[in-house]
Amino acid sequence: MSDKRLQRPVRVLDSLPMLIVCIAVVSVLYAVCLLRIASNNAMRYMIQIFLYITMGQMWNLLSGFAGMTSLGQQLYIGLAGYSVAIATAKLHLTLGVGLVMSVAVSVVVALVLSLLLFRMEGMYFSIATWVVAEAFEKLFLSWKYVEQGSGLTIRVVPYPKIEEICAVSLTVCVMSIAVVYLLLRTRTGLGLTAMRDNLTAASAVGVNVFNHKLLVYVIAAAFTAVSAGIFFVNKGIVYPESGFGISWTVSMIFIVTIGGSGTVSGPITGAVIYVFLQELLAHYPGWSNIILGAITILVIFFLPKGIMGTLQEKLRFEIFSAKRFSFAKHK
Amino acid sequence: MSEALLDIENLSAGYGDFSAVNEVNMKVEKGQIISLIGLNGSGKTTLINTVAGLHRSSSGRVRFKDSDITNLSAEKIVSKGLSLVPQGGRCFNRMSVQDNLLMGSFPKAARKKSKETLCRVYELFPDLKEMRKRPAGTLSGGQRQMAAIGRALMACPDCLIFDEISLGLSPAVIKDIYRRIIKINQEENTSVILIEQDTQRALKASDSFYIMLKGKIVLSGKSSEIDSETLRKAYFGI
Amino acid sequence: MYFVQILVNGILLGSVYALLGVGMTMIFGIVKLTNLAHGEFVVLGAYLSTVLAPMLGVDPVVTLIITVPLMFLSGFLLQYFFIGKAMKKGAEPALLVTFGLSIILQDAMLMIFSADAQHIVASYSMSTIKIGELEISVLHLVLFAISVVSISTLTLFLRSTHTGRAIRATADDSDAAALSGVNVNRVYAIAMGIAMASAAVAGLCVGMKWTYYPSSGGGYLLISFVVVVIGGMGSVPGTMIAGVLFGLAQVIGGANYGLLISYVMLLAVLVIKPKGIFGK
Repeated sequence: MSDKRLQRPVRVLDSLPMLIVCIAVVSVLYAVCLLRIASNNAMRYMIQIFLYITMGQMWNLLSGFAGMTSLGQQLYIGLAGYSVAIATAKLHLTLGVGLVMSVAVSVVVALVLSLLLFRMEGMYFSIATWVVAEAFEKLFLSWKYVEQGSGLTIRVVPYPKIEEICAVSLTVCVMSIAVVYLLLRTRTGLGLTAMRDNLTAASAVGVNVFNHKLLVYVIAAAFTAVSAGIFFVNKGIVYPESGFGISWTVSMIFIVTIGGSGTVSGPITGAVIYVFLQELLAHYPGWSNIILGAITILVIFFLPKGIMGTLQEKLRFEIFSAKRFSFAKHK
Repeated sequence: MSEALLDIENLSAGYGDFSAVNEVNMKVEKGQIISLIGLNGSGKTTLINTVAGLHRSSSGRVRFKDSDITNLSAEKIVSKGLSLVPQGGRCFNRMSVQDNLLMGSFPKAARKKSKETLCRVYELFPDLKEMRKRPAGTLSGGQRQMAAIGRALMACPDCLIFDEISLGLSPAVIKDIYRRIIKINQEENTSVILIEQDTQRALKASDSFYIMLKGKIVLSGKSSEIDSETLRKAYFGI
Repeated sequence: MYFVQILVNGILLGSVYALLGVGMTMIFGIVKLTNLAHGEFVVLGAYLSTVLAPMLGVDPVVTLIITVPLMFLSGFLLQYFFIGKAMKKGAEPALLVTFGLSIILQDAMLMIFSADAQHIVASYSMSTIKIGELEISVLHLVLFAISVVSISTLTLFLRSTHTGRAIRATADDSDAAALSGVNVNRVYAIAMGIAMASAAVAGLCVGMKWTYYPSSGGGYLLISFVVVVIGGMGSVPGTMIAGVLFGLAQVIGGANYGLLISYVMLLAVLVIKPKGIFGK
């Protein structure tokens, strides 16, 4: 029976050697950016990957770890895009200030919305988050100050070099992974997982559900915002539809599902695959969503834990384990 | 030797790696009342849920009226004549009492004579007839159990299983329900399995008994022949 | 008079919004699944009628004779052989499968029907009738009639047939329904069939009232959500009332503020009664 499997412990690769490997990988990536080893084109992909990892990581933190499946993270993407645009084009501030502003705006909005959103659970929470994002889209569509539907240009002078954007994206990405990882390994992480598995039971054993949710929600808003801010610098213009559109959530769901929901390494894998797949599918216009959809469905049927989740189960190791103790998993 | 109506052979079932029911053997003859008693968590509910098709077995066999019903879906088992009154009754709360009863005669064979069966059920439970238009969710606990029993009877079963029918009810109501169960058994010649924690009551009502502990049958025999000391030891496993 | 005019238009249009919500609420209430592909089903229904009406040379409403059974059958098969299998893996996988379906359908329709705006035109699309000072669009009356007839038929079916009773029982307690002899997977498939059939009808209605694109599904999904959540998940009467409220908001707020008003309305309902007006 499965007894033999049970006795084999899960190897948790998060000790000193793992740390050294991580630092080495990150240093190499920084070197590739800053020393311009990679071509401009390669660097554009890297930026996209870093930013999608951050967004995926945050969506995973919400959905995979805390059980708050949001369909409305694009709210913070749109707010960030507009913050950067208003800061640079309207107020003539620097990009740095713009990014700080985007985080500040998102955190404030997240704090206010939490009062409303956290009254709901499960499905209702998901729908409400989406509705809020749509409401903001409608608001920006009819708001004269942000040029309504014709969009707002981002005017960054001097325009940052691509290697700078790349390095900043990498920093944000590394920070997001570190924050999620560290958060999960504190008592808070334990509380979050308990909440995801059974909300009532979690509050019964003394988990302050509201505070936990708030912490996660605000962190997710902040990181999603800053990565979106950088994204829009690259794009140069933000429209209500491009900022607050549901397609952002489509990407996040894809990245997390493919990579493996509830694992820290999942969104990293998922984001890399997503960016390359998008590039590949650009040659087959019209087919891209059909193929993304088919892949999602196939993964759900055949690799229900995503690529990293399944790999970890098969090979019995965990990178960036969220567990503070390593138990052999049942099943 | 005549074949038993329900014959459970070496049945095992569990949840993941945890085995809740371990190689259980049990026989129910036509017209018999059997009691299955045991502590909380001894595997009684998993056992009968597996028999009734709500849970999959990992090994073993269940035969009913000479056909193999192991791991058939619940709705197929019901149409063969084996009905389960689940724990707490599980009425359809938003539906009227009468609709609840009519749901019981959903299997094709039972549907044909649903009018007569409905009259018969109302005869057995006159209270239900009075309340037939009320949503089942507004009934009291005892009334809801009656509606659930009525619903199970609507399928014209040959064997009825009651999962802790007395749970949460007052002694007077329990007594009343038991009286009617025995009446059903005598008048329709329906075999009955009573799942109980209340040993005395179950033994008094049944012909023979099975005691379950930690997923296994630890003792069985004729209800009238057991002394309380042996029973207590088997029940608590001491 | 102006007030009455708004009220009448709101109610007439509200019936269409209610219809959009009915399919969603069926699936949520019975199958306990959030169907993210419902919007695409509606758009698919609209395309089917758009293509069939000129092909057969009939009034668009007549195409329902073909689209409703066709969509019912697709829904039944889809649930029985596909979504049902995903549901065995858990609630989230099933949700993601409907999500995958929605993006596949959207692009498939884009390839087949192109990105052009579509509109279903009937001979009475532009006509109005006057009752006193009240001016009522014939199209609105037709849409209202279609919606009322479909929703009443559905309600009657659920209330008084064996299958309808089995569906209600499954919605209440699927295990107990199975113990009463109901094939729950079949009931789920029938429910999905009904949801897709209702999407065919709703698709015809929205296609006659507004222009639509392959990408319109998301918008209709959101409207269905809003209507269903305001009314309370799984409640058909709640959905109808919410549909009318939504319709009134659209008529009062117009193109610019109609949706915004209804979103605020939804959020207000959720804050006051987190499970909708008729929710439990």
